[in-house]
Amino acid sequence: MLNAIKDVVRKSSIHVCIVNCGGCNGCDVECVALLSPRYDLEQYGIYVHNNPREADVLLLTGAVTEQWTDNLKRVYDKAPEPKIVVSIGNCPISGDVFNQEGGHVHAPASNFIPVDAEVPGCPPRPSEILEAILAVGPQAIADRGREKK
Amino acid sequence: MIVPIGPIHPALKEPIRLKLQTEGEKVVKAEIEYGYVHRGIEKIIEGQTWQRGIYLSERVCGICSYEHTQTFAETIEQICGVIAPPRAQFLRVITNELDRIQSHFLGNSTFFKSMDHETLFMHVLELREYAMDAIELLTGNRVNMGWNVVGGVRMDADERHFKPILENLKKIEDGFEITREMFAEGPALALRCKDVGIMTKKEAIKGRAVGPIGRGSGIKYDYREDHYTYEDYFDFKTIWRKEGDNYARTLNRFDEIPESISLIRQAIDNIPKGDIRVPVELKSGYAMRKNEAPRGEVTYMIETNGNLIKHISIRTPSIPNMDSCAKYMIPNVASVSDAVSTYASSDPCVACAERVSITDENGDVELKNIDEVM
Amino acid sequence: MSSLIWYIYDFARKAWTDAFTNAKTSPEIADKPERFRNFPKVNKEYCIGCGACTISCPSPNAIKIVREKDNEDGEGLTYPVITHGACIRCGFCAEVCPTEPKTLECGENHLIHPEFNIIPSKRQYIIDDYLCIKCKKCMKKCPVDAISIVNDKLHVDQLKCISCGECIDVCPVNGAMKGVFVENLQDQKDIILLTVDYLESYINSKEEDLRSLEKDRLLQYEIPLSEILTKAIKLIPDEEIASEIITNAVNRLKIRIIDWNKSECKKCQLCIPDCPTKCISFDEKEDTIVRDVNKCLRCSICYQTCPFSVIKYFIAKFSLEDDNLINITVKASNLNEEILME
Repeated sequence: MLNAIKDVVRKSSIHVCIVNCGGCNGCDVECVALLSPRYDLEQYGIYVHNNPREADVLLLTGAVTEQWTDNLKRVYDKAPEPKIVVSIGNCPISGDVFNQEGGHVHAPASNFIPVDAEVPGCPPRPSEILEAILAVGPQAIADRGREKK
Repeated sequence: MIVPIGPIHPALKEPIRLKLQTEGEKVVKAEIEYGYVHRGIEKIIEGQTWQRGIYLSERVCGICSYEHTQTFAETIEQICGVIAPPRAQFLRVITNELDRIQSHFLGNSTFFKSMDHETLFMHVLELREYAMDAIELLTGNRVNMGWNVVGGVRMDADERHFKPILENLKKIEDGFEITREMFAEGPALALRCKDVGIMTKKEAIKGRAVGPIGRGSGIKYDYREDHYTYEDYFDFKTIWRKEGDNYARTLNRFDEIPESISLIRQAIDNIPKGDIRVPVELKSGYAMRKNEAPRGEVTYMIETNGNLIKHISIRTPSIPNMDSCAKYMIPNVASVSDAVSTYASSDPCVACAERVSITDENGDVELKNIDEVM
Repeated sequence: MSSLIWYIYDFARKAWTDAFTNAKTSPEIADKPERFRNFPKVNKEYCIGCGACTISCPSPNAIKIVREKDNEDGEGLTYPVITHGACIRCGFCAEVCPTEPKTLECGENHLIHPEFNIIPSKRQYIIDDYLCIKCKKCMKKCPVDAISIVNDKLHVDQLKCISCGECIDVCPVNGAMKGVFVENLQDQKDIILLTVDYLESYINSKEEDLRSLEKDRLLQYEIPLSEILTKAIKLIPDEEIASEIITNAVNRLKIRIIDWNKSECKKCQLCIPDCPTKCISFDEKEDTIVRDVNKCLRCSICYQTCPFSVIKYFIAKFSLEDDNLINITVKASNLNEEILME
């Protein structure tokens, strides 16, 4: 019974933190576009706060640059349990175009923190991001919460 | 006391560290620490062909990605001694101005968000979506457009593209007036941004501020006035203000949007017929070109080796703007929250700025504060 | 105050309350315009396996060409596979794809016919007329019909060529079809010069070995390629090109080396008038014979002239295999013996 109530609460109110660990900014812009009235992320109970200490979902963008190699894990540790990580764009998955000779990136991000879901694209459309977050977010948060018990 | 803000902070969109030295509530000094998104993009472009390089230059910055490809293409065109045909130049102007509209809307919406004015934030973002729709319709992608090639543009546009673009522009114009009025005449907002973060004209020249930030401080300079396309075919006026505070900068960005809309209308009405692309015979050489990106002047210096790019150096507007923000605007603002909104009013784009890496004599890469270098 | 009234007015509108109670994202947001460049669609059956898409792709891990296993029905298909996690959706692969109809489709980009869009290859394929036997195998093999007969000679049309390299594979004559790097020729020359200088100075530094070398014996050395390669990459910042130029140069290289032991020289000065480039001179102050290395042609006339066999003449050959070691073989010339036998 208690778990069921917790599930409902967890599913209906998700706080999001965008962590840009070194990309071209395109995916962050598309995440900001998600807040616009057209896509209206908040009607699904998802709030973007950009504060890892109160985040349930970390939206990861960027290809993990030199400075982020140790900081990324620290940001991840600061988020309270239960938490999930959704990587947006190609950079956290494969390093995109930066992962070649001359680049200073340490992709993929899954080497540093566990990544639960991936949205490919450079950048993905806001509708694709929304679809992915809604498909994976609420249920994963609820499951993750039960695991801990 | 020193208040560090960032790299992850509710007030910031992008990772950067803002160090504010405070005395009581007052901020006396600010410093910006770069280096969180340095990816080595210039080094990646070196040794590639232009066909690949143009997609890589697009990923210098995600907000003003279009202007980077255009400047890249124009630089190589200058090396090869060709000029894009008039139709391609007109199509470039349409895309460029659409990109400027969406970037200015985004910059302003970030400023309103930093002042916790959700209503205007939402209104502005709603208007921005129409510009994004027009961009996606014309070029095929919302952010990284892949529209330019050396010698012209990739795809032709016709009535079935121009008509929806004009419709979208009409929608932007309908909502624009009331949004601008809410900001310009609203007393609550004006109190928070008038006479906050003042940068005088002298300081702006000293800090090399460019774009709407420089124009908000009284520097009447827009590179579009010297650009061959705008010089030959278009008619527009440079918007500038002399107050130099947050209000002037934000209003300056707002006022440039109708100019951009009128430029797009002019382009669609007068678009000439003809080729959209000319063949380019690659030559080796060196060229430098400038262009007016939404945030200011972008400079590309490219040395080619015939087929391959031997060396490329990019100067983006964000470094001078952010540095003059830290040096001249933020000191002496009344509170930390004002410092954050002042920072947002300078429309920072960190991804643009981070291309510097400094090595010591052993060749070890070390990322340093930009102040020590300059 | 006015903005407060404005807010109250805004909240009181019926449209606002309706929108608030029925908040719902319209399904239109997922509609993509015609031109939207999604991940490229692959039509396996049209692919000719030329690799133009992989060469043109700006993202390093996005496109891989795979080949299915052969089965009873025939050969397995060859086709590109797009990795969604790395594809940047630029549509350039669809633009350069040479097949008709196109193997790759992406937005409206596959409809572009880039007649002046040369594939960004660093290599250009040309035919050597002297070696070509006109078997026309390359013409038949070429997937885009770029090779044709012009004035009784086979000719590669550079605007059509997609640099797949299949013509080199079928060519029965070694060297008739060449894949050359046409750009930065001066840098390529500099690399070859650098390689030759480095190898010669290396052999000259082994003076002791050379002087004690008996006839019919060989001197053998192995030196690593890495040192030359690091210098070469500074001239051409592409390891592939630099190493290929060095490999080609080293495998064809034959250096002739002249060495003389100054302590044994009798200073008869017979070699001075014989030298065709006047690079040998007598230094009166030091009382020695001096050879200007930069002018010397290594023609061996001085070696044949010297009545005391002080001047030695060696021939060095080189080979470079895959193990990044340059094998050097030095042997003494047997020119004098041949003359004596006559």
